Amino acid sequence: MKEKILEVLAFLKEKQVDYADLRVNEILQENIQTENLKVQSLSTTTSYGYGIRVFLDGSMGFAASQDFSQMEATALQALAIAKASRLVQKTPIKLAVKPIVVDHYETPIEIDPFTVAKQVKLELLFTAEKAMRQAAPAIFRTHGALGFRKEYKIFADTEGSYISQTLVESGGGIDAVAVAQGEMQTRSFPNSARGNYATAGYEFVRDLQLVENSARVAKEAMALLTAEECPSGYFDLVIDPSQLTLQIHESVGHPLELDRILGYEAGYAGTSFISTDMLGKFHYGSPLINIVGDATCPCGLGTFGYDDDGIAAQRIPLITKGVVENVLTSRDTAAVAQLLPNGTARADGWARIPIVRMTNISLLPGDFELDELIGGVQYGFYLDINQSWSIDDRRTNFQFATEIAYEIKDGKLTGKIFKNPLYTGITPEFWNSCDGVAKAKYWKLFGTPNCGKGEPGQVAHVGHGSAPARFRKVKVGVADVQ
Amino acid sequence: MFNKAELYQMIDWAVAAAGQHPILVLASSSAEGLTRFANSEIHQNVFEDVTDLRITVMGKQKKSQVTTNKITRQGIERAVADAIENLMLLPEGEEVPALVSQPASIEMERFNQALADEFSAEQRALRLGEQLDRIQLPYQAYGQLSYGENALALGNSCGIRRYFRSNSANCSVLISHENGASGYAGAVAARGGELELAAAFRRADQKAQANQAPIDLDVGAYTVILEPNAVFDLLMYTTLLGFSGKSLQQKSSFLTDRLGEKIFDQKLSIKDDWENENALGIPFDFEGSLRQKLNLIEQGVAKEVAYDLASGAKAGVASTGHSVGMDLFGAIPINIVVTPGEKTLQQIIAETEQGLLVTRFHYMNPVNPRQALLTGLTRDGFFKIENGVVTAAVNNMRMTESMLKAFNQIEAISSDCERFSAFVGNFYVPAMKIKQFHFTGKTGMKQ
Repeated sequence: MKEKILEVLAFLKEKQVDYADLRVNEILQENIQTENLKVQSLSTTTSYGYGIRVFLDGSMGFAASQDFSQMEATALQALAIAKASRLVQKTPIKLAVKPIVVDHYETPIEIDPFTVAKQVKLELLFTAEKAMRQAAPAIFRTHGALGFRKEYKIFADTEGSYISQTLVESGGGIDAVAVAQGEMQTRSFPNSARGNYATAGYEFVRDLQLVENSARVAKEAMALLTAEECPSGYFDLVIDPSQLTLQIHESVGHPLELDRILGYEAGYAGTSFISTDMLGKFHYGSPLINIVGDATCPCGLGTFGYDDDGIAAQRIPLITKGVVENVLTSRDTAAVAQLLPNGTARADGWARIPIVRMTNISLLPGDFELDELIGGVQYGFYLDINQSWSIDDRRTNFQFATEIAYEIKDGKLTGKIFKNPLYTGITPEFWNSCDGVAKAKYWKLFGTPNCGKGEPGQVAHVGHGSAPARFRKVKVGVADVQ
Repeated sequence: MFNKAELYQMIDWAVAAAGQHPILVLASSSAEGLTRFANSEIHQNVFEDVTDLRITVMGKQKKSQVTTNKITRQGIERAVADAIENLMLLPEGEEVPALVSQPASIEMERFNQALADEFSAEQRALRLGEQLDRIQLPYQAYGQLSYGENALALGNSCGIRRYFRSNSANCSVLISHENGASGYAGAVAARGGELELAAAFRRADQKAQANQAPIDLDVGAYTVILEPNAVFDLLMYTTLLGFSGKSLQQKSSFLTDRLGEKIFDQKLSIKDDWENENALGIPFDFEGSLRQKLNLIEQGVAKEVAYDLASGAKAGVASTGHSVGMDLFGAIPINIVVTPGEKTLQQIIAETEQGLLVTRFHYMNPVNPRQALLTGLTRDGFFKIENGVVTAAVNNMRMTESMLKAFNQIEAISSDCERFSAFVGNFYVPAMKIKQFHFTGKTGMKQ
């Protein structure tokens, strides 16, 4: 394969391209879902192919195929597309300089998830489901999911880089659905949208404690049926990492993607309220807000050795003491903004081009005990696990619903729960209202395997870590809108 | 891409490899070229050619699925062997409905050669270049122009054959002023000469020009005129949430226990009609069932929902031919056609004393499926209407509204409809005027 790849790149060099790269991917996936103590689905997927990206006189072309006997033809097709772009190109696309790398990277794992018998995986889900049903016999639906992914990648380019990687992901989760007249409530663990995922082996799933949390999840789903509707108004909130994950994702990660800032996603996913001239100046959040983009974070779903530009994974300070410092860049976007490429260009497979994607965008821990955060709330809520999300095309106005709100009164959790909590705000106002982040011992990392962006659509696997954090006077609910 | 004979050959290899095991094979082959532009320049230009097989092997009460793009005979036989191996270790579960056995063959082509001749990479670039040259600073253009061909073949161990081939072109155009004022227009075409790129650029440009000096409005309930794109956004999620038999069985649909009741305004009738010329038009579903037309909403009354084999068996009815091959959803109507009204969008605007005109919504998501409660934000053209004319642009706002309320407060439906591409399939929808539509948030920052 290596010989063939180098041959194709040499062939393109002969055609006087500015630059070309060739990526080969083989992706294996296994997904298991159980529902009401029956197997809902057991599916495996294999996808194997290659994509060739060409820059010719500052114009871009890309072609992808699964026919390895036609690599030269595919290269010529990419070249023809670049020539088509060139017909109308006014400003040549440039690529920022990067080091030449020859290396291999593998996700460190204890247990290859593909070597674990499917019966073992099914047994885990059934045991968790049984525990849910035992704890809440009236539960309407119980569900469990496990997912595993292994990706073999080769990246090679005309500059001389040749990088191979093996990335492994594992994860899963459970949920319980309770139904009554006109009402449906869900509780999930460790997070909604099929759980939590990491670059790790089966040990990650083994340690998720799905069974240990089953009873609580089912009982809470039932309890929500008779819980009061969460009130509307302005309240202090302590938000759990399971929800902060998505808050960070939507209101920090996406707005700090340089391609969005430059307008490359304007026609589809949108732009950003951030511009590069705000770097080092703009107060994104309170001084307690420190956020990094860390592609080296152990177990992060956005962790890898090298991105699909061939640039090493790195840890980037994005927001330091509340001030925005850096953005996520690729070689092509960095060149436009005269910044450095920082290793965040990723494609979701062989058939798509690398675009700027989040890695692990995480809120660093603070100095608070959880009790202290809660203790500082006169009346408010502790919000747990995302249920719904939406944010505008510039990433300012967001609205999130969570599965549950736990009442906080006079600095203590009262034990009372509310259903259908929803909170909404404006990105910098929200992050500036943070006056407490919990310590490192409360910090949790969540994997989001379904971040959509790009045309044709691409799905990225990203991670977000945080500890619980407190936000003041946040708008909760919309029932008061007349 | 592979042709019909080649795809059938792959299916034959899979069926032969399955031996006595019942098997369903779905072969999908597609090629798409897409040219993306930003800041009035082409910045991404791509092509992909992808073929894969989804193989489902079944027992009486279990099934396993393997998807592969290793489509040599050896690769396919390996995938079938893996599927059988997985099946063997599965415990008995839900009853698996019998495979479709009739009719023996359904084949259809909705492939338009004139369209294929229109959109090579070179033609896409040249046509875009012509439009991009017309956009003058401080306005710039963003979006994409794409052309794709798709072939779908299906077979099973009962010997049925299904084949469908189509092609389509698609553009989305956003024109934006440097101050952020934007306008949007899109188009989907299935026939040569149908995609009017210049018209899309013109519409987006006009909207961007009008979208200047926006005023701020308070949150609250307003009469809105939703252009077809905004109606499509609402209906796409409404369809996903409510019109499947599985969602009724899972009690997640807003139609739970309400089939047969009047749930929307009597002005609203929604069909799923694969034969409509604006539909995607696949005459069978992903299980091989013959696709039926559905009368989803008739004058506001919830009449029918979509079933695949499994959800149909649970409900004691036959499949309606709406499987999309995704267990999560079961069956989804993918050819939504809304019965148009009598007045044009322009007439509806002209007759409106006070209202807001919405071009489209952004990042819509369900908040509460049982209440059909959706949230999303206006985008790329949000205007105030007074005494029948647009008088001002308005800063974008967030809507949070139950479709059970919104579609019960329809004042008018337009006679002019537009076609849209959804996750799967097409929607052909008009504009709507709706009373008491709730905007619950503003997008502006206090700086």
